[in-house]
Amino acid sequence: MKLLSILKYSLIGLVFLASCTKLDEEELIYDRATGQNFGNTDSEIVALLAAAYTNLYGNFGSDGSIMRLEEVPTDEIVVPTRGPDWGDGGHWVRLKLHTTIAADGGPTNTWSFLFKGVNTCNRLLNLLEPKVAATPSYKKFVSEMKALRAIYYYWLLDLFGNVPISTDFTKTDPPANNTKKEVYDFIEKELIAALPDLQKTGPNDNATYGRVNYYTAEFALAKLYLNSEFYTGAPVTGATWDKCIAACDDIINSTKYSLAPNYRDNFKKDNKGSSEFIWALAYDDIQATGFQLPHMTLHMASQATYQMGGQPWNGWATVQEFYNSYIDPVQNPGPQGPVVGTDPTGTTTTGTQDKRLSNFIVGKQYNADGVTPLLDGAADATDPDGAQINFTPYMNELQPAAWRQSGARIGKWEFYRGMTGQLSNDLVIFRYADIVLTKAEALARKANNWNDATALALVNQIRTVHGGVTPYVTMTAATFLAERGREMFFECTRRQDQIRFGTYNSAYRFHPADGDAHSQLFPIPESVINANKNLKQNPGY
Amino acid sequence: MLMLMHLYLFRRFKYVTVLAFAMCLTSALSAQISVQGKVSDNNGQALSGVSVVVKNTSTGVTTDANGSFSISVPRKSSILVFSYVGFPTQEMEIGDKTSLTVTLSPLSGQLNEVVVVGYGTLKRKEVTSAVATVSAAQFNKGNISDVAQLLQGKVSGLSIAKPGGNPNGGYTIRLRGLSTLGANTSPLVVVDGQIGADINTIDPNDIQSIDVLKDAASAAIYGTRGSSGVIIITTKRGGRTPVVTYNGSATVEDPIKFTAHMTAAEFKAAGGKDLGATTDWNKEITRNGFSHIHNLALSGGTGTGTTYIASMNYRNVEGVAIRTGFQQVNAHFGLQQKALKDRMNFTVDVTTTRRNSHFGFDRAFQYATIFNPTAPLHTTDPLYNITGSGYVEQNFVEYANPLAVLEQNSNEGVLKRSNINATASYEFIRGLRFLVRYTQETNSNFRKAYLPKTSFDTRLLGDNQSGYTRNGYAQQQDDEGYSRLYENTLAYDTKLMNSDLSLNAIAGYSYQAFNYNGDFIRAGDFLSDVNADNIANAGDLKNGKATANSYKNASKLVAFFGRVNLNYKDIVFLAASLRREGSTQFGANNKWGMFPAVSAGVDISRLVDIPKVNALKFRASYGVTGALPPEPYLSFLLYEPVGRNFFYNGVYIPAYEPRRNANPDLKWEKKAELDFGLDFALLENRLTGTIDYYNRKTSDLLFNATVPVPPNQTDKKWMNIGTLESKGIELLLNYDVIKNKNFNWNTGVNYSTYNVKLTKLNKDLAGTVIGASNLGSPGQEQTQITRAVEGQNIGIIYGAIYKGLDPTGKYLFDDGTGKAVLSDAYKTKIGRGLPKFELGFTNTFRYGNFDLNFFLRGQFGHDLVNTNRAFFETSQPTVISSYNVVKTKFYDPALKSPLTFSSLYVEHASFLELDNATLGYDFKLNPAGGIKSIRAYVTGQNLFMITNYTGVDPEVRYAYGNPPNVLAPGVDSRDTYVRTRSFTLGVNLKF
Repeated sequence: MKLLSILKYSLIGLVFLASCTKLDEEELIYDRATGQNFGNTDSEIVALLAAAYTNLYGNFGSDGSIMRLEEVPTDEIVVPTRGPDWGDGGHWVRLKLHTTIAADGGPTNTWSFLFKGVNTCNRLLNLLEPKVAATPSYKKFVSEMKALRAIYYYWLLDLFGNVPISTDFTKTDPPANNTKKEVYDFIEKELIAALPDLQKTGPNDNATYGRVNYYTAEFALAKLYLNSEFYTGAPVTGATWDKCIAACDDIINSTKYSLAPNYRDNFKKDNKGSSEFIWALAYDDIQATGFQLPHMTLHMASQATYQMGGQPWNGWATVQEFYNSYIDPVQNPGPQGPVVGTDPTGTTTTGTQDKRLSNFIVGKQYNADGVTPLLDGAADATDPDGAQINFTPYMNELQPAAWRQSGARIGKWEFYRGMTGQLSNDLVIFRYADIVLTKAEALARKANNWNDATALALVNQIRTVHGGVTPYVTMTAATFLAERGREMFFECTRRQDQIRFGTYNSAYRFHPADGDAHSQLFPIPESVINANKNLKQNPGY
Repeated sequence: MLMLMHLYLFRRFKYVTVLAFAMCLTSALSAQISVQGKVSDNNGQALSGVSVVVKNTSTGVTTDANGSFSISVPRKSSILVFSYVGFPTQEMEIGDKTSLTVTLSPLSGQLNEVVVVGYGTLKRKEVTSAVATVSAAQFNKGNISDVAQLLQGKVSGLSIAKPGGNPNGGYTIRLRGLSTLGANTSPLVVVDGQIGADINTIDPNDIQSIDVLKDAASAAIYGTRGSSGVIIITTKRGGRTPVVTYNGSATVEDPIKFTAHMTAAEFKAAGGKDLGATTDWNKEITRNGFSHIHNLALSGGTGTGTTYIASMNYRNVEGVAIRTGFQQVNAHFGLQQKALKDRMNFTVDVTTTRRNSHFGFDRAFQYATIFNPTAPLHTTDPLYNITGSGYVEQNFVEYANPLAVLEQNSNEGVLKRSNINATASYEFIRGLRFLVRYTQETNSNFRKAYLPKTSFDTRLLGDNQSGYTRNGYAQQQDDEGYSRLYENTLAYDTKLMNSDLSLNAIAGYSYQAFNYNGDFIRAGDFLSDVNADNIANAGDLKNGKATANSYKNASKLVAFFGRVNLNYKDIVFLAASLRREGSTQFGANNKWGMFPAVSAGVDISRLVDIPKVNALKFRASYGVTGALPPEPYLSFLLYEPVGRNFFYNGVYIPAYEPRRNANPDLKWEKKAELDFGLDFALLENRLTGTIDYYNRKTSDLLFNATVPVPPNQTDKKWMNIGTLESKGIELLLNYDVIKNKNFNWNTGVNYSTYNVKLTKLNKDLAGTVIGASNLGSPGQEQTQITRAVEGQNIGIIYGAIYKGLDPTGKYLFDDGTGKAVLSDAYKTKIGRGLPKFELGFTNTFRYGNFDLNFFLRGQFGHDLVNTNRAFFETSQPTVISSYNVVKTKFYDPALKSPLTFSSLYVEHASFLELDNATLGYDFKLNPAGGIKSIRAYVTGQNLFMITNYTGVDPEVRYAYGNPPNVLAPGVDSRDTYVRTRSFTLGVNLKF
């Protein structure tokens, strides 16, 4: 009897148990999208596609990634150690001295974000390509992702050289290095193959604004050819220069783009659709954050100047020689007038009033009212400027105690009242002026003549329209590079340019000459080398 | 050999066995037996009000004022259960006796004490694995508001630490070092059978005893959650006599150690900027904290099978930092009802808690060390009155006025817990009992902070925003956790082989579901600080600058388990258990794990007569436990909005991307542990002790590993990555040095060692550094100070070896060959973050009505990175231009270069502390009077400490950073709350 009742209860128990041993976790997912339940409608596909682009937002406009590698080691930017601030384990100084190590954050973050871009493209291609047969309109998405992937590889090639080519989302074996030449060929092939499907839209076309169109791909090709000696290790042939010039001409002759009459318009707050934008990142201080220039460069107290909703970090600046290349009448002939000088107190002097001096914020700083001096109760005792904040192009030292107020600040993008520290200005990464200068350089190099008439005319177009300065009568490699520097300051081209012109490893402010040229490539990050045994480190690291 | 042994046993015990059998027979025939007895404590003092119940019945009496009782029992095999608040429950078989002398001992180590193990109880002598019991009488006393504090230093192998005296801070609990990397490092807590309860579900005052399951064999019955050990809390129960107790205490707490820094005069002399005043910022932000705690408990029972306990607790605790502290009200109600001739048993326990906290900001202590000591409390100078608040502020990195931080900003929370634990059980036949348990735990945590418009510090909410930058900045957060447990168990107790072999078996099914959800909002721009209490008034909600977040997730655990315990004549003991458990959190390919355990013990003293040896039990155990991934969904590739929108066709649309890589193979961590133990009682039980040696190996370690990109989507993936091994020795000794009617002296010591080694990483990660941590902001974000490496112990403090200064004041470091060089390129292990051994030493004296207990606690052999020194101990311009200078005995004015991290900033941090000293007095009252007993006591906590460490608190730091990195122990962070000392005056009344 008792046994029977035990059996009865046990049976009831068993029935209950059977219903309560399911462990499928997907049933418990409330607010997340998994690989299975997402990406099935057009709007979801666009949301996924968007990730290939927004990946750039968080990295291009910040101080932690590509800008760090492309700018800090060059002769136009310095991130000094200001007493207890910006020491950061010495990696900023190492960048300047070209002694970056594989464990440093710069290479690590940049590699990770660029390959994340590659992977995102691969993942989307894996999703989209099988759907093209049924939905032919997806073909343009496929080509767009392939072109974008090629551009990610263009930056990888530029910074790390021998990177692995990864195109298959489903392959999970850690890949080995490809040679620079292989990567170069891959980029060229992919971009050319994508061109026919890409849209020939202009800078004001909402449908492709902020995305890769036909001219974006041509721009990437032009820059690939321009730097091909660095990328392939082989001297550039006339045929390559022709390909470079052709790509430039394709853009120039489309007449969809033109030099903005006012240089500053490319960088103002409401710069969306500027006539020079071949490709820009459509930043917004709410919707699409990540352009942190105010934080990176302004003094903490500058918050009061701009009534800024965030405290700046007082870091990035330019060096006096680079600033001087704008105001020095010998290097940059043009209209003369009062400018902030390069002595320790930034005494006003007479110099060239290049309109592109708007690239810098220099001199005494004021409150938002423009009258009340901006004070720093913590000014360095040795800084002759005293409590009123004065941004001097002069910087006393790289480390350990660069004065808090020293260094011309980066004002290239308009800082506006009430900004948050995340700018709303769009960040142009492929700009028409660059193509004008690229064509000029290709012509001059092909003809082996820096005074090639067309080349000189193109450069002078930039000088007069953007700088408002006197045209060059003659040109040398050095004066061309200087002009390129003034125009393209802080647009992530200086490192390439210095390498191309052979000045990257020579001595300049805060950077003694390098023993060899291995630092032209960055080390593959330590964490990546450790995690992938098939990868070999770049030479010299 | 076994055969021989068996024969020997048989011969020796033949007579006894026969006799026992005969006794059983007689008892079955006879009617009720009348038993008299007397209950006293281990000092010979009569205990009145002790509940004496015939086991598994509702028949029971209580002892009178002389401790005497008289009861009728049905059979000789009946067992009497003696229970008394403050003492472990004791059981005694009647046997032939008609007169019993029962001694209830508040001390552990007693062989008959009841030990609570997973899903059951055993007598101490029956335990075959490493289980420690701490009863209420042994708990730490004084100003105690956290259950973990009761146990601190009491159990060998159980490390409990809370650096500094933050009243709202939690304790880190570690059993036998570290057994996991990515999973939960704290032991599983079981409260009255409720698995996974928060340790503070129950008030410290309401706890009867705590059992700690240390080895894998004892914890294996808890399967995927047993790897970090198990803490089993048993709450006080009602007896048969109505009892009212009141415990009240009042405490004064004051700060005893601040980070050493330059005085105003020294600061000026070293070149610091003189702002004209002399201020001790630590003094300005601290006070004497006054706290009081009250507990009122009512308990009792009826003759009809009802017992109850109702307890109310109120705590009002002030932190030594101004405007910090909490108030808490907790109530516990427990009811037990027997029915159907005692075959049916129902229990219901309900607990509810509300705590209102004022957290303040611990960063105030970081700033108090480095803030300009010549700055006045208030200023009107526009150079320093930056925000218009009147507080001196300056634009340096991680620098703000500490007084302003605590006075201007609010940071509050309300924690609510409600808990239900109900069981129903039915005894089908004698010894066979079926039990159903349902428990439900709800924890809700509401947090709110506001930084007013003139509040300067940008680091308070961790997002580089201040009240000043955001024109008033508010944060509001609400989290809720909800879990339900449903269990069925079938237990069978019986005796076989003429009662020589007792068998105790249990089998069960367990289902537990967990749900968590919450939301979070941050918004700024208020018209006035006055209306900021309502976050809806924030202007940011209109312009899109506000940020919001919410989440909801869930998981389930399902398990089947069983265990058998055998006891052969109290000589040989065997236990075996098995749990098969599955979790939704495992990957699709590995949903179920199997967790077996076996253990055995033999009491040599029962086999061989050894003079002066009362018990000598060898035990050995082996078991396998698991650990769960720390959160749900880690095996999935999940798409989430990237947080940045994409400009598409003229509008911004959300962008989605995968946040982690999928890993369908993700499985539990598996810890296999071997434990050898020896329990002994010598010299008429005056000297008791336990020794354990364990060797454990955790494989399939869970870790959020860095994986290569490409081929992976993102660089993080939750994986099972390697093996961790640890071994150690634990020792617990208790000795009644003097024991007579007037004077008693009991001394106890516990000692434990451990080392934890990362023995192996899988092939993808082999040879790599994992879990490294960096010194941090300002300026040392990339200075690596700790790391874990394959083949080495966990707790590596990493850096250059300091070799002195050169004549120009530059650092010299070891170049790896012992030569002093300027370069710090050679880096190596420069310290160990985890201790070599830990020690607890307790002494109790009793003279007449007085008792005195003091308890010393120490951790030895560990080092700490003194981060205050590593950032600020130099008067070079890099520091003194902005910060006050940290000045310990290591301060060297000859240092003329910027601070570089090295072994100079790593210090030995061994310490011995007089943790607790209590002097009590028991008033002798007429037991017939209204008040049955009064006890008054005074307790001092943290009375003195011996250490060479120059920082505020040498306590071991088990993890660093946020989220806590367990691979980076040994870093004393700068925002450590100051160390405090407290004195408590308390009274216990019983009516």
